[in-house]
Amino acid sequence: MKHWTEGFEDDDADEPLVRPYTITGGRTAPERDDLTLITLVTAASEVSSEAGRALRRMQPEHRTIFALCKRPLAVAEVASALNLPVSVTKILIGDLIEAGQMRARPPLAFAQAGGFPDMAILEAVRDGLRKL
Amino acid sequence: MGYANSDHGNAAPLAVKILIAGGFGVGKTTLVGAVSEVAPLRTEEYLTHASVGVDDLEGVGAKSTTTVALDFGRITINRDIVLYLFGTPGQERFWFMWNDLVNGAMGAVVLVDTRRLEVSFASIDFFESRGIPFVVGVNCFHGVKDRTPEEIRRALDLDPQVPLAFCDARDRTAGRDVLLTLIDHLMAARPRTTAHPVA
Repeated sequence: MKHWTEGFEDDDADEPLVRPYTITGGRTAPERDDLTLITLVTAASEVSSEAGRALRRMQPEHRTIFALCKRPLAVAEVASALNLPVSVTKILIGDLIEAGQMRARPPLAFAQAGGFPDMAILEAVRDGLRKL
Repeated sequence: MGYANSDHGNAAPLAVKILIAGGFGVGKTTLVGAVSEVAPLRTEEYLTHASVGVDDLEGVGAKSTTTVALDFGRITINRDIVLYLFGTPGQERFWFMWNDLVNGAMGAVVLVDTRRLEVSFASIDFFESRGIPFVVGVNCFHGVKDRTPEEIRRALDLDPQVPLAFCDARDRTAGRDVLLTLIDHLMAARPRTTAHPVA
């Protein structure tokens, strides 16, 4: 007996089978505007039992993100690991933050134009690079 | 899957970002890969009208969506700081509109290939116009330095203040040194008065 997947063209193997915005329930823009590519997100170490139940009701992608972020990861890293566009990933991370399951640390805000990082940070980066 | 305590009570480190720009095929991803502690990661973003939010696009008919992909890497500087390197996507006209990519960058390295300097003009113009500090890295494929720094500066019409360094984007030490050139430039260019962070 043939399995139903036989004969499927594999040309689009790289394309996700589910359209990304299906995962977000049709939402196309994050509700939070404070998540950037390098905002570091971490799964909360303690989640209330209510939040834990909420997590189980979420999409599998939410649970994957939660599991990935046992250590701090940048939003871009999460998007890359899930193979989802950054904007979709931000929506999902936003859900988790909203539900108290994740924390976000924004990057240093500077240098739009004319802003400069703290000298101490520059020195630390320089010293770190020298050790490479 | 457990939600119970695990050992990550410490605050997340601080993330900082450097952009690796330049035209198509100048070695951006190669440089990111040479210095990154992980193999370059790839991510993509949809850019639409709505997410662009810079220019008035009146007169543009249909709302269009473009997928822009970029490669990035990471360097753990110390316990408190993580440096991310983002290789900008090849199609400048799209990543120039990607505010999230550009905002909050400490600075940029514009890679140039002496055989095709013109492919990096747009990146240089962009950082100049945005006031984002940058250095130029001349990627010497196969160690060939076929032009002098003066010739390259003239051809790029480069501000004398902008450092220019030769490098081999495949080499970890050479790639690191270009990043150090940028950090030195940022330190030197830093105004005497304390600049307040842009919120």
